[in-house]
Amino acid sequence: MDSWIPHRVTPLTRRDWLMQSGAGFGALALGDLLARDLAAATDRDHRATENPPRPPWLRPATARSVIFLFMEGGPSHIDTFDPKPELNRLAGRPLPPSFKPVITPMGEGRAPLMASPRRWKQHGQSGHWVSDWLPHIATCADELAVIRSCWSNGLNHVGGVCQMNTGSTLAGRPSLGSWVSYGLGTDNANLPAYVVMQDIPRAQVAGGPRNWGAGFMPAVYQGTRIDGGPEPIANLATPAEVGEARQRSKLDLLGRLNAHHQAPRFDQTELDARIKSYELAFRMQAEAPEAVDLASETDATRSLYGLDDPAAAPAGRLCLLARRLVERGVRFVQVYCGAGSRWDSHTDIETNHAKACRAMDQPVAGLVKDLKRRGLLDDTLVVWGGEFGRTPMSEKGNGRDHNPYGFTMWMAGGGVRPGITIGRTDEVGLHAIEDRLHVRDLHATILHALGADHTRLIYRHQGRPERPTVNEGLVCRKLFQA
Amino acid sequence: MSTRQRPGRNWRRPAGLGAAGLLAVLWIVAVARDGRAGADPAGVDAGTRSVRERFFEQSVRPLLVERCYSCHAGAKHKGGLRLDSIEAILHGGDTGPAVVPGKPTDSLLIEAVNYQGLEMPPTGKLEPAQIDALARWVSIGAPWPSHDLASAHATPGGDASKGVLTGNGVHDQEPLWSFQPVRRPALPPPVATSNGDAADWTSNPIDRFVARKLAEKGLSPAPPADRTTLIRRVTFDLTGLPPTPTEVDAFLADDRDDAYERLVDRLLASPRYGQRWARHWLDLVRYADSDGYRQDAYRPEVWRYRDYVVRSFNTDKPFNRFIAEQLAGDELDPDDPELRIATGYLRLGPYEYNQRDVPGQWADILNDITDVTGEVFLGLSIGCARCHDHKFDPILQEDYYRLRAFFAPLLPRDDLPLARAREQDEYRARRLAWEKAAAGVLAELDKIAKPYRDRGAKSALAKFPDEIRAILAKPESERTPLERQIGALAYRQVAFEHAQVPKVLKGADKTRWKTLQEKLKPFDAMRPRDLVGVMAATDVGPVAPPTIIPGDRRARAIEPGYPVAIDSRPAHIVHPAAVPRSTGRRLALARWLGRAENPLTTRVAVNRIWQGHFGRGLVGTSSDFGRVGEPPSHPELLDWLASEFVRDGWRGKPIHRLILTSSTYRQAAHRRPEEVLRAARIDPENRLLWKQTVRRLDAEEIRDAMLAASGELDNRMGGPGEDAKGTRRSLDTRLMRNAPDPFLTAFDAPDGSGTTGRRVTTTTSTQALLLLNGHWTLGRAGALAGRVERASAGSTSARGAVILTYRLCLARLPDPNELAPAIDYLEPPRQSQKPARLGKLQKRARLIDFCHVLLNCNEFLYVD
Repeated sequence: MDSWIPHRVTPLTRRDWLMQSGAGFGALALGDLLARDLAAATDRDHRATENPPRPPWLRPATARSVIFLFMEGGPSHIDTFDPKPELNRLAGRPLPPSFKPVITPMGEGRAPLMASPRRWKQHGQSGHWVSDWLPHIATCADELAVIRSCWSNGLNHVGGVCQMNTGSTLAGRPSLGSWVSYGLGTDNANLPAYVVMQDIPRAQVAGGPRNWGAGFMPAVYQGTRIDGGPEPIANLATPAEVGEARQRSKLDLLGRLNAHHQAPRFDQTELDARIKSYELAFRMQAEAPEAVDLASETDATRSLYGLDDPAAAPAGRLCLLARRLVERGVRFVQVYCGAGSRWDSHTDIETNHAKACRAMDQPVAGLVKDLKRRGLLDDTLVVWGGEFGRTPMSEKGNGRDHNPYGFTMWMAGGGVRPGITIGRTDEVGLHAIEDRLHVRDLHATILHALGADHTRLIYRHQGRPERPTVNEGLVCRKLFQA
Repeated sequence: MSTRQRPGRNWRRPAGLGAAGLLAVLWIVAVARDGRAGADPAGVDAGTRSVRERFFEQSVRPLLVERCYSCHAGAKHKGGLRLDSIEAILHGGDTGPAVVPGKPTDSLLIEAVNYQGLEMPPTGKLEPAQIDALARWVSIGAPWPSHDLASAHATPGGDASKGVLTGNGVHDQEPLWSFQPVRRPALPPPVATSNGDAADWTSNPIDRFVARKLAEKGLSPAPPADRTTLIRRVTFDLTGLPPTPTEVDAFLADDRDDAYERLVDRLLASPRYGQRWARHWLDLVRYADSDGYRQDAYRPEVWRYRDYVVRSFNTDKPFNRFIAEQLAGDELDPDDPELRIATGYLRLGPYEYNQRDVPGQWADILNDITDVTGEVFLGLSIGCARCHDHKFDPILQEDYYRLRAFFAPLLPRDDLPLARAREQDEYRARRLAWEKAAAGVLAELDKIAKPYRDRGAKSALAKFPDEIRAILAKPESERTPLERQIGALAYRQVAFEHAQVPKVLKGADKTRWKTLQEKLKPFDAMRPRDLVGVMAATDVGPVAPPTIIPGDRRARAIEPGYPVAIDSRPAHIVHPAAVPRSTGRRLALARWLGRAENPLTTRVAVNRIWQGHFGRGLVGTSSDFGRVGEPPSHPELLDWLASEFVRDGWRGKPIHRLILTSSTYRQAAHRRPEEVLRAARIDPENRLLWKQTVRRLDAEEIRDAMLAASGELDNRMGGPGEDAKGTRRSLDTRLMRNAPDPFLTAFDAPDGSGTTGRRVTTTTSTQALLLLNGHWTLGRAGALAGRVERASAGSTSARGAVILTYRLCLARLPDPNELAPAIDYLEPPRQSQKPARLGKLQKRARLIDFCHVLLNCNEFLYVD
């Protein structure tokens, strides 16, 4: 089945060694890496060279990068993109028995249905419904492919966020970004392939940093945290009192010491990863300040992202950073909006969601528009959504509980058909009932856009071929067909 | 694919494997009825079985659950068919057996999913890959994990008398390995390993078990590590600190046969041992110095618990005593302040000071302590069973609430002083005398405060729902136990407002307050110093509030008990005579956990010790001994250690000593490439221990090692936590849940949000930048350079500086290949004829840089 084995636990040749540990941090594109290595190998030990094999999972891609806008805590689909007139009609009554009852974390399954007080309008040529909570995103309606039939297994935040990142509600598998950096590398070796940002840097994303961890893969494939604010990457700058010359000479010495130490411990991949983390750090010092410096952006661009609005500025800065990063070849950018489950609205969803929507509406719309006008939207896939939606049933009278049974996500750019709607939920928005799209299907679809076949993308772990979606996941072809 | 099996053979685990108790016998009978048990060759080894069962768990069970169980599981059996146990599948439905193991083409299930005849599932055909998975599962004999709660009844309407009926499920099969009693195995005979020199490789019993496994796989152990490596390894493992140059010299100079054993004993006797191993424990119990949630209030007294843990490790307190003190110190001896501190264990979870849903908050607190107790002591992730019977492990939902019921009478206390009754009496007497003497002033103060207090209380009360206000309105004596708990928790919010009074005084009141405080001063000599109140817990009274499974319409009261699969008897609870206001429930739980027969407690405990020395336990998932966790790599060794632990009186130090003096532990961490390549092909993860593992230091070790090298380490033990920007040992720095120290966080220190059984180790450019450019690290490099300069005062030798820096950072001398370039780094060779004497500042800068590089290098950050 897979004659080309991309990864072995034990490096038998230098090429295997590089396959195992080299494609990571700052990951060069895999093919490029192989080519370089083979060149090096011929110099070094006259090993017979063949043409570097192409990873068997590669397919024609429609997108080069992904920006995943993660609305952490679970935005209400029925108050944003999936209007339910029937819900308003049934409000105050319990869920009619014709709907399959669900388990909800707060046990509010029998609570009365709660109307959505939103004003809804159709927008653009596409006629997408967008509620009055998202006036800016509404202006990009025609760019969006809205998927109203997502579902997942994570009833609670940690499991839900974990699944949206790794495909599994249980921790331990590599995140999608790790699969992407492993399988596709980056176009810029001086920046991490996989960057993670949070609008509230201090907050903890439900389940913590393991959401962007590499799971059973080498640590080199994990996401790198970059923060918004005055110093986007902590300790990036060489201290003034040290200066570049001293810094370089220190790094040279460090490199020598580490090489000396590693030689007898050649099978410890983490030592190599750490050496590479310094190399990346040094290259990042050269490249990243420019990449994350928003000073060169015009006032118009800054306004576009909502940087004038204190409520929207944190997410705005990150969305703008995200554009700059994909512009520079970063493969997978994840932006947590509402980090620390700020979308979670068990009570008073009106106040909570109004605030959460405002915090990201203009930044997200700005991002889509900016990518579009720069021609970047064609090969940048923007994904918007949370770990689940929210229930049509009320909680504590004015909140909504978690709803992994049916919720909305949307995509834009990256070869996805703009303006379309996929799937639907039932009359009250509880269950996805048509063209149901599981998280694993979503992952398969994102990988497909990036040009990786999720059934062929294999990493050998303890002898088993591991795939990003375990043996499941279907590409949602409707998103791509002309 | 490696998992592909010859069809039609070995489809089921061998009959009678392991403890063939009554349950296992029933299992065989159930199968024998189908006439195939006899035909089943008992030859499936555990590895193959686990691969097949894993295939089932990964590819088949989820599919069945997702696509079939809405009609064919539990109470639903359309067409008379259930697919939630192998017996039911083999029994089949109205149209006959659903599966013929080994014969996909004869199996109705496979026909149906191919839409040949029956069309299942009716909602839409499965994907080809899913159909393939089912067919493959049938072709390899339809393996099904042998102890599976999903199979509640063997057949529709099945015979419940076959097993132990417990609420929603039936245990009719052999329990999980970890639920079986610990059996002390016989020592394996010494084996010659393939490199021939192993006859005397085995230093102690541990090595016998390890050597046997290695020999079975044709592997050989690594040669012993050299002494320099060993002292650094064992010193970090036991104390979390590097050895000092003096300690290294002493060990290298010690030519007695038992020099290494003496070293281990010295380290075990060091108070630093308690600090290091307390840290492991604090990870487990999610220790932090603050409340978490939005406010994240500082907990001024919680450090006393941390210090208690350090003391407990240093005195090698028997582990079952340690359990009892933490779970039920108040029931052991309500007058002992040390035990009051120990019950802080029950208080370590996060707390939200302004939660108006007090019953919900209380349920969360009880759930949290139940979950943590399950993971920490039993090594089981029982949290899943809070909402439903555990999907994989034999834990019923009712088991969860049986366990939670032990904590049901709990009452968090902050009013229990750190003093014995006699001291408290003395205090009260002196306090009364002072109050009497100063009565006039105090009355005036109270007059001012009262309206503010009342206003504060009123506003706090207004935020509660009616039922909470109703509870608070009742006199204490009329409240039920649950109402007393809820009332006490709610009253904290009222007390919070009361405490604000002096701060919210206005105008004339404020001035008058100050004047009165002055008038109070003459009485200060009489005033006793307030007693410290610790974070502690007791029971709310002798009667426990009922424990009811949420959503249970019958509202049955669940009595305290243990997971039924381990011990189905009701808990034996004795009201402690000395503590009439306590139920004795927690003490009963502690005693049960601390019984030698408990199959989990001792295994989990010794496995954690093993993990601390090898980076990974014999059970890799040290807080999950359930089915989702890893099975032990050396089950007999685990049991042997567990029984040894009990023999040694549940003391940890003898187990440490056994492990550390084994040849297994003393192996080198690296060996010749050809050996590694060969061994790694057989055992890539080194689970059989054919060498030691290179381990990155933990966050605290890195920080402490830097301070130790620079000579700045402030190693005073205990007391309130200090800022990690300073020089206190990391254990004694303050961990605020919402604002953990960035340095420690970057190196994967836990944040106190959940129990951490094994830390993840990440490698990130964030760490590199922190070490390279971070202010703190640069500060340590500067201090280290200063130390080296002072030590070599008068000497101008760069050589001496290099040697000392190596010794301080890496606990060894530089080898000649390292020495020369290092000297060159400090004193670059002259480029020209011009005498290029470096200025003092330049020289200093070079030394700082050199020190900084050593603090950054892999050898500093990793231990062999």
